[in-house]
Amino acid sequence: MIPSLFPSKRRLQQRRAQKFWAVAALALLTLIFAACAPQPATVGDTTQEEAAAEPQPTAAPAAEEAMAPIKIGALTPLSAPGAVVGGEAMRDAMLIAADEINAQGGLLGRPVELIIVDTEGLPERGTAVTERLINQDAVVAIGGGYHSSVGVAAKEVAHDNGVPVVFAETWNDTITSVQYPEVFRIAPLNSEVSAVDVKFIQWLRDEVGTRLEKIVILTENTDYGIPAAEETTRLLGELGIEAVTFGVDIGAQDFAGIIERVKAESPDMIMTLATGEASYNFTQQAADAGLGPQDVPTLCNQVSLVSDAFWTNVPDGNFCFVRRVGLPTQLYNDVAINFLAEYQARTGKEAAESYALAAYDSIMIIAQAITEAGSTNPTEIIAALENITHEGSLGTITFPVNQNNTPEQAGLDPKWWHQFPDPAITIVQYQEEGQNSVSATVVYPQTYQTADPVIVGQ
Amino acid sequence: MACGSLPFARNRMEHAAIFGWALLWFAFWGVVGGVITPQIYARKDLEISQASFGGAVIGAALGPFSLLPLWIATPKIDNRMIGVAGALVVGIFITAFALADPDNLCVANGEFVISQLANGIVIGIIYGLMALGLTLIFSILGVVSFAHGEFYMIGGMVTYFMTAEWLPGAPPIVGILASCVVTFSIGYIFERIFLRPLGSGQIERPGEYAILVTFGLAFFLQYFTQALASANPVKAQRFFPFPRTEIPLDSGSLLRTTPGNITILDTISIPNPRFTAALLALIMLAALLWFLYHTWTGKALRAVSQDRQAAAVAGINPNSMNTLAFSLGAMLAGLSGASLVQVFSWLPQVGIPAAARSFVIIVLGGMGSLPGAFLGGLVVGIVEAAGTGCVPDATRAAAYIPAYGMVILTLVLLLKPTGLFGREL
Repeated sequence: MIPSLFPSKRRLQQRRAQKFWAVAALALLTLIFAACAPQPATVGDTTQEEAAAEPQPTAAPAAEEAMAPIKIGALTPLSAPGAVVGGEAMRDAMLIAADEINAQGGLLGRPVELIIVDTEGLPERGTAVTERLINQDAVVAIGGGYHSSVGVAAKEVAHDNGVPVVFAETWNDTITSVQYPEVFRIAPLNSEVSAVDVKFIQWLRDEVGTRLEKIVILTENTDYGIPAAEETTRLLGELGIEAVTFGVDIGAQDFAGIIERVKAESPDMIMTLATGEASYNFTQQAADAGLGPQDVPTLCNQVSLVSDAFWTNVPDGNFCFVRRVGLPTQLYNDVAINFLAEYQARTGKEAAESYALAAYDSIMIIAQAITEAGSTNPTEIIAALENITHEGSLGTITFPVNQNNTPEQAGLDPKWWHQFPDPAITIVQYQEEGQNSVSATVVYPQTYQTADPVIVGQ
Repeated sequence: MACGSLPFARNRMEHAAIFGWALLWFAFWGVVGGVITPQIYARKDLEISQASFGGAVIGAALGPFSLLPLWIATPKIDNRMIGVAGALVVGIFITAFALADPDNLCVANGEFVISQLANGIVIGIIYGLMALGLTLIFSILGVVSFAHGEFYMIGGMVTYFMTAEWLPGAPPIVGILASCVVTFSIGYIFERIFLRPLGSGQIERPGEYAILVTFGLAFFLQYFTQALASANPVKAQRFFPFPRTEIPLDSGSLLRTTPGNITILDTISIPNPRFTAALLALIMLAALLWFLYHTWTGKALRAVSQDRQAAAVAGINPNSMNTLAFSLGAMLAGLSGASLVQVFSWLPQVGIPAAARSFVIIVLGGMGSLPGAFLGGLVVGIVEAAGTGCVPDATRAAAYIPAYGMVILTLVLLLKPTGLFGREL
């Protein structure tokens, strides 16, 4: 059929009808989308409109400014390839912190507005959103942070702009070792975590009697994974344990080829230094191939502490060992107990992950520093942070190595600059399928041990 | 510190120079053959359509020892000749690799090689199914759907939610069928509303319009799913856990199954989710081929792909075929996702790398070629498995996965721009 150059009346009517249905369909989809989109109270990458943050109408601009909210930035991964499970936990925790601050009357008589941005776990995105927080949203300080590579990039932006940042979950040593005045950290150091991991492995070998001659490390090729694998390999070497490392990119999905190579190494233990869903993918695919936590002792990544997501994605993950940062639940202080109650109410989870606790503390420390400084001036906030003693959910947080007590004066490595020195680290083990991480067995250190470890495949 | 300098074990070839010289041999004589052969054939007024590709492969295989006889005798370069030369190239490549790195698992461990090959074939079959959908759309509509990865994602999401959240305990087939219905319906509605104007002449720049509108759909589906389902990873349980079996009963040397794994001949070990996903893909492929070659509608689809106007003269409505092709293509992507949601953790962004891989596969196989798409999927699957298994540097072997397919694609495009099975221009 040859189409006519001049459409008939019927054809025109058909076109009008098509256009009508197209517009109607678009309108319907938009409505559905609007109805299903997250509510402003939990919005990510946009301004959080807290009820308490609503300014009262005033006549004079000066009064308006005086009542304007104090803006605090929050870095967290909310999209892939970032560790979304961890990012959402941190977002919820930081929102709880902001709610608490506002419920207690805000800071300096002003409400607090938390501006959460999505880092996607990517350094370039981390740089961009930190720039935006400082130069567009005019935040007075920044908390949160999950991926080390994002922290490494974001610290440069914070330093260039003189804005204080308290990192919650970025472990890379260089974040503090560069000794920027603006950068503080309550997360543990990568090298210290590696030391704990290796001490645990040594304890398994020497005290529990586990055969451990060769360990396979699966690491992500990031500022977290590479130094961690390197340090762990070095420390294991000192114990006479061979380590073979396999690297993957963040967000990797298919591990079939790598798992065959791991299998060919006949490892006595597997250690996962890959975060997010890559960790889940590897552990379950290894289990499918007969190399999972029920076949070979496996130290899973800390993202495995998100019990619901872990068991959904790794149904064969029983007997995973998982490193947990923060006080053991039996030693929770009042702050942690109160936070846990709020967290359970908000998220429906039974337990709070270590990075949720750290994220909460990062915002609360900034709040305390602003109060003690009596100002939102970044320099004064930094001075207050240097001298702070904060009773947080992770314990009593201080930054003892600072401008008054430099690493050189203290005889310490520069990595301890503005670093919380005492984050508790324990190793827990899932010993029942579907178990919640809060009730997981603490196996190491022995001070906190609740039961003996189950060693598989020996 | 660069990854390559980390103190990791076994990350370098023992005699890298041997492998380097072999690559140099391929590159040099391949270029010489590819450039000079068509000139010689043209001077003698002979067929030159295969001269460049054939000359390059024949040159890479035996260098001057094959090129000189070729240039003197100037025989017709057919697929058989290219196939033999290609096999020689692969053989020399493998030999050079084996000599360069004799301790490599791919050289020293036969079981490992067979397992990697099996892994590559299994995942390649699924890649092929997904790419088939994309190439079907291209062959009928002339449009590259940038939303293909999102249909793949939705297929997996629907299967997960049907079997784990909305109807817990429902058989997997319910989820798979639901994913077919949902992806087919979205494809149908989208084509009717947004792509139908392409054929009516209402759009001034149809090529750009198609790219933009499918990009728009991709973003919409991705973020709409994220708003509905959150960005947390989910995963369906194994569709069909194997019973514990051993054949023969006392040793299991022929076949051994556990709920999560099947081991054949004590050598080939395939995880259950991959095995069942590949089986599903093969069934779907057979059904698709039957549909395309044994039903009137399927034949009509193929007719439109070959000559749109002639098909219209024969009474086939090309617009209906457009709608059917786009919906079917979307459904094939959805089916791939539905079969893989038991293998991988599933996120709203899971379709991005899958779509990129599909683009590689259909260009590799030849745009619009159905057999090319499937074989391209197999080639990419096997090359990825070989690369992951054989690259000596363990810290980079898996990180290079996206690059392996790209290397093959680049080589094929250099030597045969229409792809392996593409129509000659």
